[in-house]
Amino acid sequence: MIRRAAEITFQFDGDEFTAFDGETISAALLRSGQKNIRSAPTGAPRGMFCGMGVCQECVVEVDGKKTEACRTKVKAGLIVRKATYV
Amino acid sequence: MYDVIVIGAGPAGVNAAIEADNLGYSVLIIDEQGSAGGQVWRNKSSSIIDAPKTETSIKGNALRDALMSSNVSVKYEARVWHIEKCDTIWNIHVENDVLTSKNLIIATGAYERIIPIPGWTLPGVIGLAGATALFKEHMMVPGHKTVVAGSGPLLFYVANEIERLGGTVEAIVSLNSRFDWLKSLLIMITQPILLWQGFKWVTAFYKKTIWQSAPIKFEGADHIELVKIKKVDDDWTPIGKEQILEADSVCYGQGLIPAIEASRLAGAEHHYDETLGGWVPTIDDMGRTSIEGLFVCGDNAGILGALAAPIRGKNAAQAINKNGVVYDIGKFERFGKAMTALSIPRAGLLNLIDTDTDVCRCEGVTRKEIEHEIITGAQSPNAIKSGTRCGMGPCGGRFCADAQAMINEHVTGKTREDIGLPTARPPLRPMPMDQITEELNYDDLPIPGVSPL
Amino acid sequence: MTNTYDIAIIGGGIMGCGAALRIKEGGMDPVVIDQGDIGQGASGVNAGTLSMQIKRVKLMPYAIKGHHEWQLMGEKVGFKKTGGLTLAFNDREAELLQERMTMKRDAGADITFVNPKKVEEIEPHLAKKIVAASFCPDDGYANSSLSGQYYRGRLTDENIDTIERFQVSEININSNGYEISSGDQVIKATRILIACGGSTKHVAAMLGEDLPIRARINTVSVTERAPRIMNGVIGHATGLLTMKQKDNGTVLIGGGWQGKGTPEEGRGAINPETLLPNLQLAQFAVPTLSKVRVVRSWTGFEANVPDFYPLAGRLGEKDNAYILGCVRGGYTIGPYISKLMGDLILGREPEMPLFDPNRVFNEDKLI
Repeated sequence: MIRRAAEITFQFDGDEFTAFDGETISAALLRSGQKNIRSAPTGAPRGMFCGMGVCQECVVEVDGKKTEACRTKVKAGLIVRKATYV
Repeated sequence: MYDVIVIGAGPAGVNAAIEADNLGYSVLIIDEQGSAGGQVWRNKSSSIIDAPKTETSIKGNALRDALMSSNVSVKYEARVWHIEKCDTIWNIHVENDVLTSKNLIIATGAYERIIPIPGWTLPGVIGLAGATALFKEHMMVPGHKTVVAGSGPLLFYVANEIERLGGTVEAIVSLNSRFDWLKSLLIMITQPILLWQGFKWVTAFYKKTIWQSAPIKFEGADHIELVKIKKVDDDWTPIGKEQILEADSVCYGQGLIPAIEASRLAGAEHHYDETLGGWVPTIDDMGRTSIEGLFVCGDNAGILGALAAPIRGKNAAQAINKNGVVYDIGKFERFGKAMTALSIPRAGLLNLIDTDTDVCRCEGVTRKEIEHEIITGAQSPNAIKSGTRCGMGPCGGRFCADAQAMINEHVTGKTREDIGLPTARPPLRPMPMDQITEELNYDDLPIPGVSPL
Repeated sequence: MTNTYDIAIIGGGIMGCGAALRIKEGGMDPVVIDQGDIGQGASGVNAGTLSMQIKRVKLMPYAIKGHHEWQLMGEKVGFKKTGGLTLAFNDREAELLQERMTMKRDAGADITFVNPKKVEEIEPHLAKKIVAASFCPDDGYANSSLSGQYYRGRLTDENIDTIERFQVSEININSNGYEISSGDQVIKATRILIACGGSTKHVAAMLGEDLPIRARINTVSVTERAPRIMNGVIGHATGLLTMKQKDNGTVLIGGGWQGKGTPEEGRGAINPETLLPNLQLAQFAVPTLSKVRVVRSWTGFEANVPDFYPLAGRLGEKDNAYILGCVRGGYTIGPYISKLMGDLILGREPEMPLFDPNRVFNEDKLI
């Protein structure tokens, strides 16, 4: 049996998601079936790819900064935005 | 100032650090993750309070415990962005700090080789190694119905983990044939436990395994829905009729590529060896590079896998001590090479890279654009990058360089050595400006002098 | 190659390629030789700034003509005219700005002084600490990364022979001209033009010419794609900051901060002791940059002589050897001065004076 931390809620792109406190943003989104995390500069949908923080596909915005969702943890009330470009 | 800094806290780096500590050196180990373990012994997320033991958790905890019991200093959640040697001292730039040492051991591991095919950028398509990160850190599956595709042993590990964690594997699509695996049997016999484990996996997934085949297209609206596959010949060229598989997730990869960005930035000589995963630092049998005081160990020195990692780490520490080879890597090296051999790219793979496929994911550069640039005269990766932007994105060319070189090889007939690599530059990871600089006191700005009028 | 070219041009950057095109147009048969790929030296890695406000007073007429050339090259080189500001953050800088921009304006650049309120209109993301500023509507930039692709195309179109990956190891002079060797490969030409940027001193020495050339190591950084935070080119009163945000959202940061290394050793390396102040200054000017990630920092070589004016003319006592380089602001001026050079070589009178390489160099006290 896997025992996980308490459930919390956070926001991604204006929508509310539930997650286990301390898991990564990309894992939390994937758990809810949200695979589409970013719009590439071409407009195409992108999501988690390499899973280890190097490919930059899962980049999201937290506190105005772009960061890899696969290495950023969720916490209660965290506001995560889709990465914005020019 | 430390005697030794180790970059990368996977099994190679940690063993190097502990060995150096045992030899009496002051040691610091740095990793961008929150704890030691690297990819192969990746620690569980703090969101998992309790879980049944796995090989990963047992080996990983043993590694982390050994590190904690030593005198090695640790720095986690820390990204090294620049490495420079000033006289005899290494300056390691970690965010807005500079750490110094007399010796540097680079143990940065590897990342995945993933052949670009139409639809490979669809959400839901993740690397095989990316999938293992999900399993080890979060004990979760990537979707409801998963196609696992590519080459090498990771295919079977990933498939097994998915079903062990409650998911469903729709199919394993293996580039390798049964015969490829049979050829490896002789060497696998030297690791009976692993052989038995492998045998169990292959038997368990026998009905779901489609041998000597490859995905040719991933389809879906805004995430993966269908996987089209074909059989491949011995050269890995797709042949025959298309088969369609339904899946809401794909785990896809063709072996590992040594992560040599740090050793290149440090100025070490490198060469190309396809039996070790591609470009590797040029080293002796203990991990000494062409630069005094610089050592490498683990998969970034050549893909030999987790078994070989601890010994390579220990030997690198011994090399600092100017000793000869202390630990024998022989059988681990042979095993590791046999596993890597299953993923050595074959010429037919090029046929999978459709002309309109984005080879450079970051910047959206297609095979057609890259070929055009080469045909019109751009010979080096620097020149191809300059003209097309292939490799200019935030991933630093990690996921397009290999495919770009394959295309270059094909168009020009040049060898990888002749083609070369783009110039190594910092930062090693994208760094927010305020993470590497301090707040400016304007009067303190070291203005060297105004430009001529 | 067994035929003898009319001229061998060592260096396939803007200088060498520009001269080759002019020379071919005039009826001579040039060959362009480069140690690597065309356009991968300074021409291919500089920050791409085309700003009248940065140009030296005496070089202004050349810069104005150079700008015009860039405009003609247009989209193929990513040319954009965005307008540009130069900023002063304290009284000393404001004085410097006033003095310099007045002289540059008098030399022909369309520069006006703008008050902080106007600055805010032009660039809303700038820090509010500006004491003085100047503006030029003609300022802009081009994409230096495209230099190689552009000139490769032009040289091919004009059927100009190009020999890449040719590292000149020796130059022999005989009665017919020059034999340029790389290992066992030899290229013969009646004339020679040295236009190889950072390697100019080294190659000129092969002809027995010892020139007081020093290679500066300029640092440039680029960010990830960011939302729009800059509209035009931004500069600093001291010249030590240049910034521009391209259409794709990436921001290029330069300013001539010095890295480490020499052309003989390789491509140079950044020096954190100068890179970080460069980035600090950038953030000081545009605070929102703090959250933007740097994706790559690099260096490029810029050759200079003590008075920081170009070398453009006949080399030494020879009447068939020429040199072109060491222009401060070579990117802007290159497409024009290379034409003048081509004209000189063709035996025509260049429409503007060139810069005698044999002159006495009065050390410029400022850097």
